[in-house]
Amino acid sequence: MHDTRNRALVDFVALPFLFLTVALLGGLRVDGESRAFVFLAPPLVTLLLAVLLMLLLIRGDLLRFQRWIRSDLSPLTNVAHSWMFITLFFASAQAFNSVLPERGLLHWLFSFFFLWTLWNNQFSSFDARRLLRSLAILFGTAFILKHMLLASLYSPEGGWLKRVAGTLLQGVTIGTLDAPSFAPATGYISFFTLTLYVVGLILLASAANGQTKIITHAIPASVVEDYRQVSTAERLTVREAILTEEPQSESRRDNT
Amino acid sequence: MQSRIIQVTGLALSLVYGAFIIWIYATEPRTFKEVTTSAEIAAGTYQINQEHFTSAIALFRREQFRAARDEWQLADPAQADARTQFYIAYSFYREGWGRVYFDQNLFKQGLGAVNRAIALASASPLTVDDPDLHMHSAAELKAELEQGIELSWSDVNPFKVLRTRK
Repeated sequence: MHDTRNRALVDFVALPFLFLTVALLGGLRVDGESRAFVFLAPPLVTLLLAVLLMLLLIRGDLLRFQRWIRSDLSPLTNVAHSWMFITLFFASAQAFNSVLPERGLLHWLFSFFFLWTLWNNQFSSFDARRLLRSLAILFGTAFILKHMLLASLYSPEGGWLKRVAGTLLQGVTIGTLDAPSFAPATGYISFFTLTLYVVGLILLASAANGQTKIITHAIPASVVEDYRQVSTAERLTVREAILTEEPQSESRRDNT
Repeated sequence: MQSRIIQVTGLALSLVYGAFIIWIYATEPRTFKEVTTSAEIAAGTYQINQEHFTSAIALFRREQFRAARDEWQLADPAQADARTQFYIAYSFYREGWGRVYFDQNLFKQGLGAVNRAIALASASPLTVDDPDLHMHSAAELKAELEQGIELSWSDVNPFKVLRTRK
């Protein structure tokens, strides 16, 4: 009883609100001089990155479209789940926006780094936990690079690091490493935003695991025991076979 | 049943929140004060600061146009009141008006302000009943400002020094 209610609260209230807050704060910067808010809409490249990330979340079993949006669920539930996916998409775009430099060569370098990582990950085998870890590290690295290293390089009160690196890089790239200076509050906002985003993904993963648990209860113990006996390579083959057979077996179950 | 209530409530609240985020990114407020002002405008409850407005009128009548504009800026920080924008435009006109030449920069700023005033009062033509002013409608003021910006042969007419400020 409580379990269903709590799950509903997480799925239909907590997750959309978390992701929408990320969407709100991801583009927020605080100007270094006037301390005024600057709202930056997500650049086009972040939408592309968000699409790749959504595909990765599906591959990593964090998002299960076929389970969350089904014909046997009520229309309201399907709409609520779709809305949650939309908020996740925009939160992903804004999470990238939060850690991407705003302009110049660094913007494109970071974008390329993200694109390359996400594209490569499309062809790796992932489970939800590994994917979460990988994403946390990806965003954490980008955060450190942008809000700690680059911010210190381009801050008006920067020290020797700024002078040395700034001069060297400026000379090398003929000024294309130009970056706007934001108040330190921007870094705190970005940290909070990314934390919220990762928390949202963890909640999403727990939702996915919760569903898996319900299904595994129905599997006979002997099948699980047999599975444990086989090698890792064979386990992978079994898993792939199950995943490819899944739609058919589900439709068969529906027919019976 | 309870789950259904949570679904409906969650969906409705998060849709409102989503609309709020779109509105924030569309209006781009720079401070928390601007957020509340924009919200007041959206809700139709926005009112100018009457104290600053009255003070600005007094300064305007003493021909202290820049100080008057500062006061009007404080009275109408969101630039959402047609009457205040009309007065700002008028102050640009009076300050920029000269017997020999018009200050192009001030006239252009005045034109911007009068256009704002006209846009804000799009429902009906804007008229300000102030006996101290010679032009009472925004359209009249706009025409005067546009004429001041345009270059024509009449600019070299020596008799133009006899013209009067409105």
